[in-house]
Amino acid sequence: MTFQIKLALRYLRGRKLRTTLTLFAVVFGVMIIVGFNGVLPAMKQVIQGNMAAAVEQVDLTVSSETRGSFDAALADTVRQTPGVALVAPSLVRPLITPSSQAIPAKDGTAVSSFIVRGVEPESAGQVLSVSLADGRFLQPGDTGVLLISNKLAQDTGLGVGDTLYLPAASGLMEFTVVGVTLGRPPLGSEELFMSLADAQAIYNLPGQINTIEAQFAPGSDAATVRQAVLDQLGSGYQLGGAEAGSEFATALEAAGFVFNMFGVVAVALGGFIIFITFRTIVVERRRDIGMLRAIGAGRRTILALVLTESVLLGVIGTVLGMVMGVLLASGILVGLRPIMETLLHASVGNPSFAPYVFVLAVVMGLGVTFLAGLFPALAAMRVSPLEALRPSLAEVERRRAGRSAIVGVVLVVVSFLTLLTGNVGLATLGIVLFMAGLALIGPALIYPIAGVFGGLLRLIFAREGQIAQGNLTRQPGRATVTASAITIGLALLVALGGLIASLLGGMNGWIEKTLGSDYLFIPQSLVLGGGNIGAGPQLAEAVRSTPGIGAVTTLRQTTAKVDETDLQLIGLDPVTYPQVAGLIVSDGDEATLYDALGNGRSLIVNGIFAAQNGVKRGDTLVLQTPEGPQTYQVVGVGGDFLNYKLATGYISQANMAADFNETADLLVLADQTVGADTAQVMADLQAIAREYPAFTFYSSSEWLVEIGKTLQSFNAMYVLLVILAVPSLIALINTLAINVLERTREIGTLRAVGATRRQVGRMITAESLLLAATGTVFGLLAGVWLSYILVGAMNMIGMIFSFSFSYVGIVLAVAVGLGFGVIGAMIPARQAAKMDIIRALAYE
Amino acid sequence: MSIVKTEQLTKVYGEGATAVTALNHLNLDIQPGEFVAVMGPSGCGKSTLLHLVGGLDQPTSGRVTLDGQDLSGMKDDDLARMRRRRVGLVFQFFNLIPVLTAVENVALPLILDGTKQSEAEQRAESWLTRIGLSDRMAHRPDQLSGGQQQRVAIARALVAEPPLLLADEPTGNLDSRAADEIAVLLRQISEEWQRTVLMVTHDPRIAAHAGRIVFLKDGLVVDETRLSSNGRHEEQQVRQKLEVMS
Repeated sequence: MTFQIKLALRYLRGRKLRTTLTLFAVVFGVMIIVGFNGVLPAMKQVIQGNMAAAVEQVDLTVSSETRGSFDAALADTVRQTPGVALVAPSLVRPLITPSSQAIPAKDGTAVSSFIVRGVEPESAGQVLSVSLADGRFLQPGDTGVLLISNKLAQDTGLGVGDTLYLPAASGLMEFTVVGVTLGRPPLGSEELFMSLADAQAIYNLPGQINTIEAQFAPGSDAATVRQAVLDQLGSGYQLGGAEAGSEFATALEAAGFVFNMFGVVAVALGGFIIFITFRTIVVERRRDIGMLRAIGAGRRTILALVLTESVLLGVIGTVLGMVMGVLLASGILVGLRPIMETLLHASVGNPSFAPYVFVLAVVMGLGVTFLAGLFPALAAMRVSPLEALRPSLAEVERRRAGRSAIVGVVLVVVSFLTLLTGNVGLATLGIVLFMAGLALIGPALIYPIAGVFGGLLRLIFAREGQIAQGNLTRQPGRATVTASAITIGLALLVALGGLIASLLGGMNGWIEKTLGSDYLFIPQSLVLGGGNIGAGPQLAEAVRSTPGIGAVTTLRQTTAKVDETDLQLIGLDPVTYPQVAGLIVSDGDEATLYDALGNGRSLIVNGIFAAQNGVKRGDTLVLQTPEGPQTYQVVGVGGDFLNYKLATGYISQANMAADFNETADLLVLADQTVGADTAQVMADLQAIAREYPAFTFYSSSEWLVEIGKTLQSFNAMYVLLVILAVPSLIALINTLAINVLERTREIGTLRAVGATRRQVGRMITAESLLLAATGTVFGLLAGVWLSYILVGAMNMIGMIFSFSFSYVGIVLAVAVGLGFGVIGAMIPARQAAKMDIIRALAYE
Repeated sequence: MSIVKTEQLTKVYGEGATAVTALNHLNLDIQPGEFVAVMGPSGCGKSTLLHLVGGLDQPTSGRVTLDGQDLSGMKDDDLARMRRRRVGLVFQFFNLIPVLTAVENVALPLILDGTKQSEAEQRAESWLTRIGLSDRMAHRPDQLSGGQQQRVAIARALVAEPPLLLADEPTGNLDSRAADEIAVLLRQISEEWQRTVLMVTHDPRIAAHAGRIVFLKDGLVVDETRLSSNGRHEEQQVRQKLEVMS
């Protein structure tokens, strides 16, 4: 084994450029996996630490499992539990102010995100340990006063005696600062202490709380008391607070999933590069391998030799990748630290790596390189000892439409049939069959493809094009493998590009249907549950009463729990909602759906929830509500634009009021009557909006411009495409470079008989373009198909939009594919042109 | 007992109308310690004979016995082991591994046979010294001349102390001076170090160094000469025989 490692290391060192390019592919993938998995735990630690810090100050914190509000009388139930000494009920909710009410900070930014903590002054003062930097705490009977955090005071210059205006369900409420607190670390938002009654007024939740904190009597067994409290309260309650931060945790989980997938794809591409490299290495070293066999090496020895080299590459690449990953994580956190400090008031520590991250990196890095090297190693095993005795001529394959090509045709035909079934699962299998079929047919197709593109190529490369075309057709197997580097890379780019384009097109459809009213009153956050202050019925009434306004509808929001799954609920008015807007329905008859919603306890679920939980129309679900568990019937599957990515259900507003005590309107949509004076209507509605600063008023056209800016953020996904393109480009450069090396003597001969350096360079470029053209054809086909499958998969989970692929996209894909060919040829072409003739002729 | 014996050895390439008979029921006996050169026109089967004797290829029919062992029907692993221990191979194009030094190249057969690296390299150094390359041990092939590379290859062929050395056009890639040196070395291997050498060559000047020259034509032995009384074949005589055959 020592000899094999020594030989492998020597070979790797002997071809530094190739080794570097191949290594980079593995390093890149492992770096992504390790790097991002080091950042996410550090971020999670911040959130969880923050949440823990909030609850560590008391012996017990209880909230609803649904994170919703419940009757304040339940605090008495807790108070009466043996072992509980002191109880502090509170209403703790996020609040986002409109920009007009945001508090200017000294550094030029503005603070608009808060956590409102409505408490009973007496009990809170006993249970919570609130230190003061200035002023006083709340007193019984206080109203219209609040305490701010020391950080807010320092950042904004606010102090005791200053006035704050906060949006409320009734419009705007005025508060006077009476105190400044110390050391209260809610994540991302500034904490505001106020009376419970004031908080209930802001959110239109009279008599409601959502958190009970308690201190135990000395000597009590904490676990026993906690359990006793939960037993007293019954089902639907949990230990722990309804703190902000959990949505961050969810977002981080999703981000972690995306980055891991990205890392896995990058490592897989790295494996593909290694496969190409070693396939060519085996060809390049046929004589060495033949010699070793001739002097007595067994087949297994040859297998071990090649595998050792690929595994060694994997080991080095994985180790380097892990080191780079740690550096990447550190670098990202260094960059994030000031942002976290400023925006989230959190200090982020160093990267944190769970053991499984390194295990995953090792398994992926080594596993992929082992597998990638295995097939070439098996081919090397079959090299005959006679190879050592044959003169070194370029291998000429005589590929005909043999058995493998016929099998390939069958696979491609079967794959097309899976498309016709319309079943996404089968179509996914189809893409695998298609790619496998392409790989088998490829060598047979090279000749006609090279003929077609070769003719075009000769228009640019008059002399070199013919030689390039001949090189390809003489080596159809190798050409297919090289072209496959572009095929796979381009297929990924085209697939993702098609998905993004289809998604953006679909989004516009969703917006038009679900938010397409003439006028909209939009809350501060498009995530309806994200700290928005709703309005009481007065806002919708005012809009309804405006001359020129026809149908008006509103949306409300709360959360429920189904088994252990959170479910956001949107409250709709079954009568007015379909008059102004509508859901995108994937299961159910939209004509009768809203009537069904208005009957009994009925529920429409969105595609995300349905797909994740295997729920379909006709099922019944038990929802955990503040009023106890309630059974709802699923009458359809559908969704709206604002909630397409969250597990969401839609119930009637009547049920939301009865079961969840939620009556605040978070969104108001209105249509103008035909013939109304638009300018007057707008002026009237703008006047109403001024009374409700928690909402922003838009006309339909203004709203489309505004939401267009949000959709533009999807363009960031195209950056992902560019990053994914890098490994493909490396694969192409690598393979072309190896091709040049392999044909050193041939190139030397060309130079000896009179080809100029420029001609040799152009020949390599021409060949690369031919390969790129071949890869582009295959890649485009595979990519469009894959894009169709991805759209189908999105449809399956309820995000309904049509597959679309623009001609511009096709032209762009072709340009990218051919561009790859030109860029990929630059280094190898220069290599070939620089070759010394004598050394090249003597090359073995 | 013969060290190499072929009985009715036949090798046919291809099938049907395109079939080519490289060896045609060839019978040959080589005694231990002989230095035999095989000559003949292009396509006469001399390289094929070498391949079959070395276990690199399988005959269509007939038998090869090497040092008392019938090669037909031997498994691939057994043939490989045989080549490690019983046969040394020298190639026209040297076939040294470019990333290994001279010592490391020579030590290869021993390492493949499981010898410890240190011992293998020690024995390799000994052989390199014997053939006059003690000052080139750490050189890589690209740092050696053609003649030196072929010497390294010969040392590699001998390091496992095989009784038989097979050389396929060992001087085909060398200038005349280096070729002569290699021919002299092969003779030394046979006469001083008591190895049997079977060499394929097209060069009468090199063949003249052998103790016995076998002439092949159309896959059959058509003539043979043995050493004359002055201990050498006459190069001119060898040329004449070749011309007659062609």
